[in-house]
Amino acid sequence: MTESTSTSIMAPSGARRLTLGWDSNWKTSNPEIAFAGDAQSRSRMSLSDHISNYGRIPTGFTYSLVSDSLRVANLTGRGGAKFPFYKKLAAVYQADRKKGCYIVANGAESEPLSIKDSTLLKTNPHLVIDGLVMVAEVLSAKGVYIYVKDKEAHSAVNAAIRERKERGFNEAKISIVDAPATYVAGQETSVIRRIEKGPALPKFSIDRVAVSGVKGQPTLLSNVETFAHLGLILRFGADWYRSGRSGFDSGSRLVTVSGAVGRPGLYEVSSGVSVGEILREAKAQSVRAVLVGGYFGGWLNVRDESELKLTYDDVTLAEKKLSIGAGILGVLSKETCPVVEAASIVDYLTEQSAGQCGPCVYGLPEISTAFARIALSSNVDRGISELKAVIPLVERRGGCQHPDGVIAHVRSTVAAFGDEIKLHKAGKCSVASSSHQSMLLPKKSQGNLAAASGR
Amino acid sequence: MKIVIDPTRCQGHGTCAALLAEYIEMDKWHYPILSRNQLKDSHLEAAKKAVQLCPELAIKIIE
Ligand code: SF4
Ligand code: SF4
Repeated sequence: MTESTSTSIMAPSGARRLTLGWDSNWKTSNPEIAFAGDAQSRSRMSLSDHISNYGRIPTGFTYSLVSDSLRVANLTGRGGAKFPFYKKLAAVYQADRKKGCYIVANGAESEPLSIKDSTLLKTNPHLVIDGLVMVAEVLSAKGVYIYVKDKEAHSAVNAAIRERKERGFNEAKISIVDAPATYVAGQETSVIRRIEKGPALPKFSIDRVAVSGVKGQPTLLSNVETFAHLGLILRFGADWYRSGRSGFDSGSRLVTVSGAVGRPGLYEVSSGVSVGEILREAKAQSVRAVLVGGYFGGWLNVRDESELKLTYDDVTLAEKKLSIGAGILGVLSKETCPVVEAASIVDYLTEQSAGQCGPCVYGLPEISTAFARIALSSNVDRGISELKAVIPLVERRGGCQHPDGVIAHVRSTVAAFGDEIKLHKAGKCSVASSSHQSMLLPKKSQGNLAAASGR
Repeated sequence: MKIVIDPTRCQGHGTCAALLAEYIEMDKWHYPILSRNQLKDSHLEAAKKAVQLCPELAIKIIE
């Protein structure tokens, strides 16, 4: 196949920017939402196909052009921090780069409910690599890393790098680093330590990674999806990225939908769609609650359908104290008690502590125990007063975000499900069945809440 | 100047709280809580001693 010239390329649009060319089964009834399934059944897009779909990889960018494009495009980090990417870039650009700087695409995807990053790397690694080499040029980066979750992602990225070498691409060299399958492996400082050949455990740091990251040098670290969007924005322009439905967000994003839905998996959605539109495509029925953002995210109590009209962007979600986070929507049907589910997740997260910091090691089990009392209707008042006493002893006292993420989950549950907790206080529960089968925990991690409450 | 404690290193021995009672209390699990961190000049010597004596090298004084 010969390389197409850029003039013959149609810029991808709507909900098919990142998932373009994956499959013909991606169609949904809503043109703003594409179903991308999962990576299992898909093969990696070759470099030739990548170029014929998206056009040649442009080069020769200046910092100011990149920065302006990203600002106008309104690109935010896709790992959950919702921070404008051009600001992150500026922090690294303006830091002392005399000894060089580093760029890291984080694909650890430690949220068990997410498949977006690994699927993107397995099916379209060139999109991520494009974005990385473009910023590497602008920052004259000393090293560029992709931090990957599993073997398949590793080999897809590896094959993509080889293809580019064979084509004679003159671009930054990329190294692949493997993330262990632990929850804290994706924390920024864990990523840095792993790249420095240490354990993937959080490290206490006074400076931000942008100032002091890999080898103590300025480091641009973001989620792999961020770099994929960046590569497209620099190809087709900020205005292209902003086209489509208006709203607070722009472009598209990858969303993993799981739980009580008929069609779980990966979706690409245009900016401006609502949570309800996405769940309709995922064939969700009798929705009781939605976990928005992931285990460190928050809950939407779905008292009636109208609650799902919420536009899926961070400004609108913030009104409900929610955020897109890692692009996760976890659905519970009316057969699952959301408070029990939340307590199971908190129990799981408690076990995922890296065991380094006292307040996390001793505090999280206490939080989990107190929360289980509420969930199991055994002693709601005692649970609540224990939570009130222990949370201040844990919050902001860990070496990483882990305990604060757990606390955010607990707070969100209590805030969202006042109705349910009232029932629990009376020793009841909205769900008749006493056996709880978790919808949103990894199969092998189905814990035992009763044990947690008696801890 | 400020005192910072690296929670990933601290093992809760409490030497620091004995030396810097005005700044550090211990929580119920015997880990230090910094009640304030802006260091007064007159406490600099005591703080330096705490840095030296912390068995886990968890305490730092920063600008
Ligand atoms: S806060 Fe918890 S998870 Fe984070 S570094 Fe400390 S022990 Fe590990
Ligand atoms: S002396 Fe060091 S290890 Fe001991 S409690 Fe203080 S900071 Fe922690």
